[in-house]
Parts: sequence; C-alpha cells; structure tokens
Amino acid sequence: MTTTAVTRKPVRWGRIALHLGCLAALLVMLYPLAWLLATSLKPADEVIASLDLLPSHLEWSNYETAMDGVNDVSIWRLLSNSLLIAGGAVLGNVISCSLAAYAFARLRFRFRGPLFAFMIATIMLPHHAVLIPQYIIFNQLGLVNTYWPLILPKFLATEAFFVFLIVQFMRGLPRELEEAARIDGCGPFRSFFQVVLPLTRPALITTAIFTFIWTWNDFFTQLIYLFDPEKFTLTLALRSFVDASSQSSFGPMFAMSVIALLPIVLFFLAFQRFLVEGMASSGLKG
Amino acid sequence: MPGHRTKGFCASAAALVLCALLAGCGGSGESVGGGKVVLRYTWWGNPDRAERTEQAVALFEKQHPDIRVQTSFSGYDAYKQKLAVQASGGDAPDVMQLDYRQIDQYASGGVLFDLAKQKTVLRTSEIDPGLLDTGRVDGVQYAVPQGRGTETVVYDVKAWKDSGVPLPKWGWTWDDWAEAVRALKERTGKPGATDPGQSEDSFEVWLRGQGKSLYTEDGGLGFTAVDLTRWWTFTDKLRRAGAVSSAEQTTQIDGTVENTPLGRGTALSDTNWDAPASGYLAIIPSGVALAPMPSGADGTPGQYFKPSMFLGVGASTSHPKAAAQLIDFLINDDEAAKILGATRGIPVNETIRKETAPLLKDFDRTVSDYQASLEGKLKDPPQAPPSGDNALQTTFQRDYDQVSYERMSPREAAENYVTEAKAELRS
Amino acid sequence: MTTTAIPAESKRATPPAPKRRPKREREGAAWVFLSPWVLGAVVLTLLPMAVSLYLSFTDYNLFDPPRWVGLRNYTQMFTEDPRYWRSVVTTLTYVVIAVPLQLALALVVALALKSMRRGKAFYRSAFYAPSLLGASMSIALVWRAVFNDGGTVDNLLGTGGWVNKPGWALLAVALLTVWQFGAPMVIFLAGLQQIPAELYEAAAVDGAGKWRQFLSVTVPMLSPVLFFNLVLQTIQAFQVFTPAFAVSAGKGGPADSTLVYTMYLYDRGFVASHMGYASAMAWVLLLVIGIVTVVLFRTSRSWVFYASEGDR
Repeated sequence: MTTTAVTRKPVRWGRIALHLGCLAALLVMLYPLAWLLATSLKPADEVIASLDLLPSHLEWSNYETAMDGVNDVSIWRLLSNSLLIAGGAVLGNVISCSLAAYAFARLRFRFRGPLFAFMIATIMLPHHAVLIPQYIIFNQLGLVNTYWPLILPKFLATEAFFVFLIVQFMRGLPRELEEAARIDGCGPFRSFFQVVLPLTRPALITTAIFTFIWTWNDFFTQLIYLFDPEKFTLTLALRSFVDASSQSSFGPMFAMSVIALLPIVLFFLAFQRFLVEGMASSGLKG
Repeated sequence: MPGHRTKGFCASAAALVLCALLAGCGGSGESVGGGKVVLRYTWWGNPDRAERTEQAVALFEKQHPDIRVQTSFSGYDAYKQKLAVQASGGDAPDVMQLDYRQIDQYASGGVLFDLAKQKTVLRTSEIDPGLLDTGRVDGVQYAVPQGRGTETVVYDVKAWKDSGVPLPKWGWTWDDWAEAVRALKERTGKPGATDPGQSEDSFEVWLRGQGKSLYTEDGGLGFTAVDLTRWWTFTDKLRRAGAVSSAEQTTQIDGTVENTPLGRGTALSDTNWDAPASGYLAIIPSGVALAPMPSGADGTPGQYFKPSMFLGVGASTSHPKAAAQLIDFLINDDEAAKILGATRGIPVNETIRKETAPLLKDFDRTVSDYQASLEGKLKDPPQAPPSGDNALQTTFQRDYDQVSYERMSPREAAENYVTEAKAELRS
Repeated sequence: MTTTAIPAESKRATPPAPKRRPKREREGAAWVFLSPWVLGAVVLTLLPMAVSLYLSFTDYNLFDPPRWVGLRNYTQMFTEDPRYWRSVVTTLTYVVIAVPLQLALALVVALALKSMRRGKAFYRSAFYAPSLLGASMSIALVWRAVFNDGGTVDNLLGTGGWVNKPGWALLAVALLTVWQFGAPMVIFLAGLQQIPAELYEAAAVDGAGKWRQFLSVTVPMLSPVLFFNLVLQTIQAFQVFTPAFAVSAGKGGPADSTLVYTMYLYDRGFVASHMGYASAMAWVLLLVIGIVTVVLFRTSRSWVFYASEGDR
C-alpha cells in the first residue's frame, strides 16, 4: 500500500460527503420555491386550501391572466418600470457609496470619527420613523409620482449599509499599493479610480446585487410614491390581485410572482460571473 | 480584457438608465395636458373592478372632453396606507374612494371638501336619506356613498342541506344560530361557523339586536365591559364545544375569503359582507347561499345597510367642479351604472338600482336579491364611526385572541378592551 | 504584517516639501468624495430625523397640526402599554433566535463552498435563490401553507401547524429570515476570497494543518467581515418588519406572538394614526440599537483584526 493511495482516498470521500451534504441542504432550501412554482399552476380552489405540493391539473390560465398585465398596463411596461428603478438604484448606490466609503476608509478629514459614527447610526434608523417627513420633502419638491424619490436617495448614499460594507472591504486592502501609487505621484482621485476601485470590485458587485434585489422587492416605498398605474412596477402590480373587499385572484398573483422573479434571477446569474471574475482578477494576490 | 468590457457595459447601462429616467420623469411634468383639467381618482379594488372602472372613466372623458382622469388603484390595505401618507403630506387626490371608518378622521382632519358647495353638479336626491347621512360629519356632507352592502351569513348550501339542519331564514335569533352551529358540529363533525367573537362587525350586529350601538352619538363607547363579556362568553362557549372554528383556524383570517375557515373548508359558514362573499363561489363548487344575520331575542334586526364605500373630494383640489362632475357621473349616470354593475356594491341611486337589478348576472344578482329581500326591514345605519375605530377594529380581534387561546377570561379581555377603547376615543 | 514598514520607507523616499501639500489637498478631496453623502445625510436623514424627534413629543394624528405633549408618549409607552412590552420581549426573542442561526448557517455554507472545486457557482446561486424572493405576499402564503396544520412541517415532524400557535409562530417567522441567508453568505464568501493565498502557503510551510490554518489564518482574516455581518444582522433583526408582517398577514398574531417592535410601531403610527407615539417608539428603538452596536464595537477591539491596522 502506497502512501498516495491512502491520502487521496479520504480526500475524495470528504468531497463526496460535502457534495451530498450540500445537496441535502439544497433540497430543504428549495422546497418552498418548488411550492411557489407549483402553486402558480394550481386551479383557484386549490391555491389556498390544498396542502398538496402538486396541482391536480396544470392551470396555465393563471399565467395568461398575469401576462395580460393589470389595469390596462401591459406586463412589459411594468417590467421595464421595475428595471428602470432597480437599474437607477444600482448605479446610484455603486457610485455614491464607493465615493463616501473611500473618504471614510482612506482619507483624513476633520470630524471623521463623529461623521463615521453618525453614518453608522443612520443604519440603525427604523425607516418608518422618517417616512412621513421624507414624503413631505419630496412632495414639496414636486417629485411625488415620479421615480426620483426611489432613485435620488441612492445617488446621495443614504443607504449607509453599503457605505459601511465598502469601507470594511477597503480597510481590508493592503495599503502598500496606494502608498506605491502615491510615491508615483498619484493624488487621491487617481489613486481611488486606478488603484482602490478595481480592488474593491467584489464589494461593488455585492452592492449592485443587493441593491438590485432589494429595490426590486421594495413594495412599500413604491406604493407610497407611485400613483399613476403607468408608472407601477411588477412588485406593486402583484398587490392588485389581492383585495380584502372583493374576490382575490391568488392563482394569477402566484404566476406573476414567478414572472417577477425571473429578472432578479437573471440579474443574479449574470453578475455571479462578474463576481467570480472580479474576485479572480482582483490583484489581491500581488 | 475583462476590465474593459465591464467598463463599457457599465457606461452604456448608465447612459440607458439616465435617458430613461429623464424620459420617465419628463412625462409627469405635464399635469395640464393641452389645457385639459386633470383629475386624480384613486380607489381600492381588484382587477375586475379596475377594468369596469376604466371603461366608465373612458365614457366620462368622452362626455367631458376638457377633463382627463388619472386613475390609480391597489388592494384595500395598501390603499389605506398610501392614502394616509398622501393626505398627511397635503397631497390627497382630487377624487378618492373612502371607507366608512375613514370618513370621520379624514373629515375632521380637513382632508375632505364640503360637497354642499357643488350640490348643483352633484345630485344626491336619488339616494336614501338614511344612507346619505352616513357621509356627514358634524352636519357637513363630506362624502357620498357609492355602493351599499350588508352583512350576511354565507353558508355551504350542500353541507347544510345534507346535514338536515334547518336552513337559516329571516328573523332567526342568535340562539337559533347557536343551536344550528352546534347541530352542524354534531352531524358533520365540522364547526358550523367561523368564530364571530373576533369580528367587531358581528359584535355590532349582536349589540344592535339588543337596541344598543358600538358608539354613542358624540363618539363615545356605546356599550360596557359587561356587554362585551356576555358576547365573548357566548362565542367562547361555542368555540370550546367545537361548534365554531378553533383559535388555530380563526387566526388565519387575513381579510381574504380564501383564508376564512369556510374558504379553507374547515367550517360550514362565515359571517361576512355580502359583496366579498362572491369569492366563495370559486372555492366551494357546490355553491354558497346568503342568509340574513341573526337578530336579537325579540326579533330586532342588528344588521343594516352600510355604505360599502364612499366617494370624497380632496379639500385642496383645484378643480372641485370637475371632481363633483365625476362623482355625479359614477353615481347617477345610467350608462356608467350599466358598466359598473355591482362591482362597488349595489348602486345607491334608487332609480338606477331598480333599473339595473334585472341586468345583473351571476353572484351580483344573488347579492342584489338578498338585499332586496331585506328592503324596508332594517333600521337606519349608525353615523360614521369615530376616528379611533380604525385602531379599535384590530384591538378587538387581538383582545379576543387572548380569549380564544385561553390566556384570559372573557371578562378580563373585555375589561382590557373597554379601557383601551376609552383611551383611544379620548385622544 | 509588514504594513508599518512601508509607510516608514515612503516617508524616507518622499521629499518633505510635496509631502505637506497633499495633506491639505486630501482634506479638500475628502469633502469632494463625501459631498453626495453629506447632501443626502442632511436633507434625507438629519432633517426627517429632527422632525420625527419633534413629533415624538407631540400628539400627531397625521391630519391635524401636532400638539405638544412633552414626555407623555414616552411615559405612556413605559408605564401604561402592556402590548408595548410584549412587543419588546417578542423582538428580543426574535433577535436571539434569528441572528445566530442565520450567521452560523451562512458561515458554514460559505466555508463549504470555499473548499469546493467544482460546482461552486451552482451551489452559490442555489443557496442564494431564496434570498431573491424577499417576503412577498406569495412567499408569505407559501410559508403559511408549509407551516400550517397538515402542512409539510406538520407531516414531517408531527408538531402540528406553527403559524397558528402562539408558542411557535415566531419561530416560523425567524426561519423565514434564516432561510434567506444569501446576503451574509455572499459577504462571507467575498471576505474568504480576499484572504491572500500566500498566508495559507506560508502557514503550510510552517507546518500548520487544515484546522490550524483555519484558526490562525481564516478566522483572524475573516473577523472584519464576521463583525460586519454580526452588526448588520443584529441591527436588521431589531428592525425586523416584513417577515413578521407577511407571515401573520399584517396582524402580528396569533395572540400578538409575532407582533414585533416595528410592527407595533407601524400599527400605532399608520393604522391608529398616533404618529407622535410611533415616533417616540422609533427613537427608543434607535437608542437601544445604538447601545447594542456600541457594545459590539467595544468588544470588537479584542477580536476583530484589520490588515491595515498599522496606521490607526
């Protein structure tokens, strides 16, 4: 018996066990998703009352109803509205949060400590508390029933969560590269754009993914600020199927939930690649 | 190089988003499209109601080429939140659909316009005076009822017939009702009804059957802890006997008919408003029927015709006349009535109600017949509930949860509720 | 680490005259970088916060002008409102259940994925999938079905329904949060990815085994990310709203068992129209979270390790 055989075997078994474990965990994790999919194909009398996973027959009309859109607004319109808001939010957060994060992580300025503490404190702010004052401000600015209240805050780095996230990543970066850049005569701007930002790409992509998903699903803000059905989003339209005072259409709602899920899934899958690429090519090793 | 691709991608994405933003936001600027008056009209409802409303609004726009109506709707809970934020931000829509429970608060908060100022445009002579009065607060007509509904015992016809328990009929009392649900439990094994203890609406019907009311004229509490203790003891006994739904089933009620015990197939009847009851048809294929609510021991009816919704005008509107025209159209126009059917409850305009009744189809017809059978038998509706009622409806259900989960006695919970209610109504 | 050596070297290498100018430039540059944040902080955060602080001392029903009542909202909250205290207990219970469970799960999965050679991208996407859903109405209905009498959990474990029993409902809510552990998982993964491979190589050269490498390289290098996740998840858990709202259909039931703090706040503010009271509740919550965060930051000094610590 050779030593190589002995050492290789346990490693392989370990890998198989790892994969089996992960697959088992996935089965549990994805079960509710399967339920969601199955329910979107259930006939009306089974949607709520039935406790079986599988529908008695496939009710494709749920999807037909969902594809008709809501209130004379086509599903494509709803979809592009959602994309517009989520895309704007991603852009805003990535730009504004990385700028602020760089200042907090690397630059020296007066009141840095207190301002940083304040920034952290804003993460703790329950947003219901500032909802009404914020609404009044946007109303005064004449921006209610536009997308600005949903996007502008992102360009102003109000989501301190992401500033903090990027600060943490930047702090983890070795300073050597920047020091080297400074010796080469780089000012803070060039050093930010050319040295720090490329290295921070994993955090930026993480920010983009989270922003996209959270903005996409953020029902409450959209509800408050959007008025005109032409401007409604998929998330908002979903709620139109369920109304306490009359008959609800749960089947189509589930179908539309599945449809609304597709863009986020695609976005996530697309940026997964960038995430991997970003990590692999970030010059951390050098 | 991958880096370049990313940069290019980001730049073009950025350009795209910015363009779209400018285009999207530019659109909203034109609130006066070609000298037209633009009205914002909001309501709650489902897609069916939305479709019919859009059609009616299109007709209105055709009749009034100088007015453009911008409509918006969402489900009831979402709508309530949105309207509250809009109203407090001084941004109430020109025409809004309102619930009975909202009127007092919105009127006393100065959100609503005094409709008497537009009475030449907005005609109300065809509306039953008792019903019309429900839209008055402190003597001012702030809102006009748009549809009418009443409470009902909606039941699974086949199950009741098969069990041999006598079907409910006009004039049955709460004792008859209790006997029926007990018998149903005995013969079918299923609870005969949803536990009505959690419903402030059912309690009100019971209370009115005894000649009392939820609220006094001046907005105080119209009953005592003793009354409430009696009601909750009554329902709690039935629950313990399994004659009405268990706490575990009752707690799943979320406002939709699908999640009521009847909708889930775990009880044989439900107390609900008549219009939403249509939702049961899709889930109980063997059919449901509507019966009157039980009355007091001496036959005093507790249920009443309640405005299922109101229309009001925002106090800050710059086009009160156009807004009044729209409301008048929705309530009094023949063509509009044909389009709307009973989607907002049975019409309040008496002439229109009589004209459209034969035209109604399916469940609309059932509701219309049910209401016709009660015509002239019910007492006038109470005035709009005071603003605190909004919160109390939830409190009522929460306090009863403590009873049905057997954490408090009916007396303790009732005393709690009365204390909370008094505090709420004072502030 | 060698971080301290390099600045020392650069000091020697840079001539003294240009060295002073960058300092002033940097102060100016910092404010340029900060300007969007400052604008947002003043207009969209500080101003609304000041308004809500003012409102917390008033009786404000959203419609009539606010009426000054001094500390009444606060005294009423602490002394006359049993439901308030129930919501406090519910929220603390939720924090204690959800945060450790979610972080542990996210870390274990991230570590498992890290040691994987094949299928990493697949697993990562699959484990993230539930987090794409948020707590929409449809997912709430799925949750209620799975955790109902006769639902999947009941069939497997024989526990009966969870969502309709006061002792169990909060656990079902917490599991919805735990289930969506994608965000902390991705942050852990990104953190793991940032650990330079040489550190492992160096450790291996020194003769450290896998476990030893984990303890002496992974744990300290991952500690800032762990800390970040801990702080964030704790703050979010204190503010939990959507899962509880969705699973209980906005009621906080059964028997108030899922009526968490922000839900009660929302209930008071937007359903009952007591905005002053709700604002006061928000400020108390803010203070409590603040204290908890400060405590976490204090303890972090003893266990969080920053690579660029040298210049602090």
